[in-house]
Amino acid sequence: MNWNRNGMTGQVAPILDIRDIRKSFGAYQALKGVSLSVAPGEFLALVGPSGCGKTTLLKHVAGFEEPDSGAIAIDGQDMLGVPAAARPTSMVFQKLALFPHMSVADNIGFPLKLRKVDAGTIAKRVMAMIELMQLKPEYLTRFPRQLSGGEQQRVALARSMISEPKLLLLDEPLSALDVKLKKVLQAELKRLHRSVGVTFVHVTHDLEEAMMLADRICVMRAGEILQVGQPNDIYYRPADAFVAGFIGDTNLLPVEIRSVDAAGAAVAAPGIFGEARISAALMAPGLLAGPAQLMVRPELLAPLESDGRADFELDARVSEIFSKGGTVQYRAQLTDGSPLIFELAGSSTQPAGIGETIRLGFANRDIYLFQGGNAG
Amino acid sequence: MTGYPQPTPWLNARAEARLADVLLYGATGAVLLFFYIPIFTLIAFSFQEGRFLTLPFEGFSLRWYGELFRNSNAGNALWNSTLIAVVAMVFATLIGTLAAIVAVRYRFRLRIPFTGLAAAPLAFPQLLLGIVLLLWFSVLGRQFNFNTGLVTAIIGHVVYIAPFAMVIVAVQVFNFDATLEDAARDCGASNWAVYRYITLPLLWPGIFSAAIFSFLLSWGNFYLTYSLSGAARTLPTFVFSGIATGSSPLYPAIATVVFIPGILLVILADRMRRRAA
Amino acid sequence: MSAVIDRSWRDPALLGKALPAVLLQTTCFLAPLLMTIALTFQRTRDFQLSWTWSLHTWTDVFTKAHYWTILGHTLFMATLCVALCLLIAFPVAYALASRLRAFQNHVKVLITFAFLTDATLKTFGWVLFLDKNGAANYLARGLGFEGDAVNILFTDWATMLGMVYNLLAFAIFTIYLSIDEIDRSLVLAAYDAGASKFRAFWEVTLPLARPGIWAGAVLIFLLAVGVFLEPKVLGGGKSPMSAELIRQTFETRVNWPLGAALTMVLMTVAVFVVLLFNRVYSLKRHLGPA
Repeated sequence: MNWNRNGMTGQVAPILDIRDIRKSFGAYQALKGVSLSVAPGEFLALVGPSGCGKTTLLKHVAGFEEPDSGAIAIDGQDMLGVPAAARPTSMVFQKLALFPHMSVADNIGFPLKLRKVDAGTIAKRVMAMIELMQLKPEYLTRFPRQLSGGEQQRVALARSMISEPKLLLLDEPLSALDVKLKKVLQAELKRLHRSVGVTFVHVTHDLEEAMMLADRICVMRAGEILQVGQPNDIYYRPADAFVAGFIGDTNLLPVEIRSVDAAGAAVAAPGIFGEARISAALMAPGLLAGPAQLMVRPELLAPLESDGRADFELDARVSEIFSKGGTVQYRAQLTDGSPLIFELAGSSTQPAGIGETIRLGFANRDIYLFQGGNAG
Repeated sequence: MTGYPQPTPWLNARAEARLADVLLYGATGAVLLFFYIPIFTLIAFSFQEGRFLTLPFEGFSLRWYGELFRNSNAGNALWNSTLIAVVAMVFATLIGTLAAIVAVRYRFRLRIPFTGLAAAPLAFPQLLLGIVLLLWFSVLGRQFNFNTGLVTAIIGHVVYIAPFAMVIVAVQVFNFDATLEDAARDCGASNWAVYRYITLPLLWPGIFSAAIFSFLLSWGNFYLTYSLSGAARTLPTFVFSGIATGSSPLYPAIATVVFIPGILLVILADRMRRRAA
Repeated sequence: MSAVIDRSWRDPALLGKALPAVLLQTTCFLAPLLMTIALTFQRTRDFQLSWTWSLHTWTDVFTKAHYWTILGHTLFMATLCVALCLLIAFPVAYALASRLRAFQNHVKVLITFAFLTDATLKTFGWVLFLDKNGAANYLARGLGFEGDAVNILFTDWATMLGMVYNLLAFAIFTIYLSIDEIDRSLVLAAYDAGASKFRAFWEVTLPLARPGIWAGAVLIFLLAVGVFLEPKVLGGGKSPMSAELIRQTFETRVNWPLGAALTMVLMTVAVFVVLLFNRVYSLKRHLGPA
């Protein structure tokens, strides 16, 4: 649990080091002082709502944008002023940007052709990439528009990897695919990352995708980094209410911190549950007495038997039920009127129907406490 | 809950569709016929045996094509037309292509005045453009001691045709995905390599159509050549003076010869455009 | 689709590409035009231009009714030509965009070829066709008509026919492009709302095709006021239009200032008419269908 806001765990020299990058387009501040380090071989996901600056940040790394101030180093080399063509990075574009007038083989081999590699070597390397991407060799002579969406993705990946870049930058390349194909290619990306060992920086607005693929996730909003950490940390110990709400469904219960000491805090939620103790490990750093938010993920709530006990207990009146296949999500109201979401494993019988009240409980260790009355 | 009744049309749907079809196909057929009446008339008259352009024909022959072959004035005019058209094509296409890239790809403060200036001759009557340029070249010619001739005719053609080329290429630039250039840079391409491997090949169908359009607009141009070519004759001005002094089937024969490269080039341009689409 | 790049106009990459067109059109279009305006304020003596500033030409232009009669006739012919071209071009453009799937390209090629073929030759072709002993009457007699059934050569009708013929393609292309851009689902939405084909056309397609109709109209009008070949060759030079008058002023009377002034008057009036129409048209749109 040794994450910090922008650094990495461990002491390896970073492959990518971004220091306090600022960029404005006219009056609009796209990046407001962003710092980030990526370790060699890491898979980092940049997530955030649209317009948060994640793609802009990626373009700065690729060399399509120059920052107003700050520094970017790749493998210890300062990259400011170095054009995109000369950077040891490779990008997979959102719309793939396959060259429509070149065959698949020419597309994949293009980076090597520009590096004046002889034709025989190019052909051999292209063949190797085709195999790595599990594409059929007869596709080599086809043109991009003759391939399916998934095959085009693989060609784009092959073209990005053939020059053996130090950093592979992915700009939401899976966003246009249907769910099923997306799942296949996500698994493919993970496999690829493990087998070639290149550092991946993957921009996405799909959280599930980020959680699945990345070693670390970097959450951005409005040109700033809110939190960097491992998927579990981000999910269960978000930096603030925004990150908590952005990453999956969540419950933020308004509570009052009565007192704080070194071991933890005493909180109460009038009308929901009585006073309880929370240990310091489950609190955001620097909390003071006053209004706060108690986060508990919907899947960590469980119905209580009539004689059952839990660290926290509350009554909720079910207002809507959504079946999600394997799980069922319930939307309910607490006794004081505030909303609550809980998710249970699907079963043939429902513990409560619409309009019925159910008693729920959750464990002390499953919560996280942070500042703010109405943040987010 | 019955909702509102369906609106009642004044014709039933099938009758309406049939009426629309008759109107549209009819109009298209009629306009095509209209376009080709003079063209077919000329082709027909070129095979007239006698020397008068009236019907009925005295007989069919290729006599006037032979005359055309031996007529040195006609040969001269053909050469001048070709020379002017080739040179004007190269310059008009080049200038128009660059201007199209500027007008579509970039946003800058003087974009609207630039586009307006670059396209202005498109909406200027050709005869008046010819006259205005004739005055200009006459005044300059007196100053710098030159006469109007092939060079001034070519300049006039380029002024008039470059805007056409610009409009044609602009359509291609508009449909061009600029991230492809970024992708090429990311692959390691220098500015020159981006142009050579990406920009030019992808704009090529538009540039090619523009070149063919330019060639034909210049090849068949009458008004500008008439004002600006001085003593030199091109096919159109040669025909015009021929009609003015009394006609013979020689002129329909010239027309027919002129049509052949035209239709071939138009078909070629269309093939290129469709292959790119 | 194409990303727009923000640039300063001083950017060398931009300037390099813009410069050829700017140089060409300033030295060989704008400058000659300005010189032509300057010329109108000069005088001629013994068929020679003398650079002395005077308003002589302009008093001449504004006092002779003859010039203005011809200008009025020219504007009338041009307006009629625009109306006819739009009327004929619209169904063809619509058919090209909505029907003719298989033949669309063939029709386009045929129209393009006819458009690009030398106007002199085509106009000459019309003379042969319309001549008293020409193809039209030959065909008419064959169909059983008496005497010279087609007898319009060397009249204003023949001039109009030639003008429409030579300018029609502009309207077909501009209208076709704007119809082709219309999102097909908008028309389907109109059907879905209960509109008949004609109603959907009237309420959706036609209003959305307006930019193309307008562009075609402006282009044809400006080119039509400058025609010279058609009135001379097909109209027989009997009722001259402005361009012919201007040509005579330059060539026969060798009066450059007067020719330049008449050119300026013609262009100014033509542009003024276009702006006026544009004004009325946008006013009507703003006020709505009253």
